[in-house]
Amino acid sequence: MINLKFKVNGKEVAIKVEDSKRLLDILRDELGLTGTKEGCGIGECGACTVIMNGDAVCSCLILAGQLQNAEIETIENLERDNILSNLQEAFLEYGAIQCGFCTPGMLMSAKALLDKNPHPTEEEIKTALEGNLCRCTGYIPIIDAVKNVLDKY
Amino acid sequence: MKFYKPTSIPDLFRISEEIEGKKYFLAGGTDINVQIKNGIIKDEPVIFINHLNELKGIKESEDIILIGTLTTYKEIIESDLLRKVLPFFQNSLKSFASPILQTMATIGGNIANGSPTADVTPLLLVLDAKLKLFSKSRIREVKLSEFFTGYKEFILKANEIIGAILIPKNAETGFDTFFEKVGSRKSLTIAKLEIAGLKRLKNNKIEEIKIAAGALNEYPRRLHKLEEFLTGKDIDRIDFSQVEEILNREITPISDLRSDKEYRLQVSFNLIQSFILN
Repeated sequence: MINLKFKVNGKEVAIKVEDSKRLLDILRDELGLTGTKEGCGIGECGACTVIMNGDAVCSCLILAGQLQNAEIETIENLERDNILSNLQEAFLEYGAIQCGFCTPGMLMSAKALLDKNPHPTEEEIKTALEGNLCRCTGYIPIIDAVKNVLDKY
Repeated sequence: MKFYKPTSIPDLFRISEEIEGKKYFLAGGTDINVQIKNGIIKDEPVIFINHLNELKGIKESEDIILIGTLTTYKEIIESDLLRKVLPFFQNSLKSFASPILQTMATIGGNIANGSPTADVTPLLLVLDAKLKLFSKSRIREVKLSEFFTGYKEFILKANEIIGAILIPKNAETGFDTFFEKVGSRKSLTIAKLEIAGLKRLKNNKIEEIKIAAGALNEYPRRLHKLEEFLTGKDIDRIDFSQVEEILNREITPISDLRSDKEYRLQVSFNLIQSFILN
């Protein structure tokens, strides 16, 4: 067990957890942040993507022991006071969701890109989303949504 | 399960020497963490090393590029120094896994994981890379080509780790370069096979050639017999049936869930032929 201190969505979190507990499970089970989804559990689908210290990462591949002092941002941080972010609005507007299971991960990979590069090219958007799989075959609306959020973002 | 988090490199070796038997060093965690979750690793102690900044970063000396073992693929792909000095190496790694995994996975972890399909190893082999191995009281350098001894087996001694990867700065200079990773899709794919190559021609003759194969033997390796056969040959007068024969003796592909033996033999020959002729 370790005393883990880290930040989630801007708030300090201090909890006692097993070293081997995955970030994904800490978010969902300990902190009740169930917006982050588990897909493959081996880093190949991107459903569990969160932002760690500014980069998109798979929360299923990070253990508590790797998290000390990290800053984590999850899908719950996008909506503020019941108002969706422009990125979320764009996903709705362009129909970039079907079953919705990949959507939190897609949004977090897109946000990590836009935070660093507010005006990406289509190629850069495609590259940033390469690690996020959508099995409803909805890539075109997703790319369109990210492309068109740019002016508002 | 017991976990350790050393505060420094000396502390790492102190902890490591105190633990008898098998142990794991956790770098990026993209493979080990899956094995922990699936119960493949359950009793062996795990030592976190990913926070040890001394093992990160890309540096240059007069004639060598040194890549710390914990340097991530993202850092390699974005490095201005590598863009200038080893652009072929850098560009070839853009197909590694996905950007999410590039952020997490480390070069040393990729080599030490020992997979026959490791993307980086064939490239490093044709670049004549060396490894700097660290242990408590000594640092030694070995050629990467002499590092592997079998499937996931290396010359690493107990309590010794890969500390850094060394690549000669002029490793690509003056060569035609070639790298093909054949997979089922563009990103997030494990290679069916990989061929890396460097060649230098003079008056249409092959003056020097280096070819390495991944996913075609128990570990990635240079195809020395084929290199020997090709050196000095006029590229318009190469007997490709002989090339195929030598290749088929130097690689030992298997049939598995990603591909089969016949496909791997045929495609690796096709790739080597197009590398030689183009």
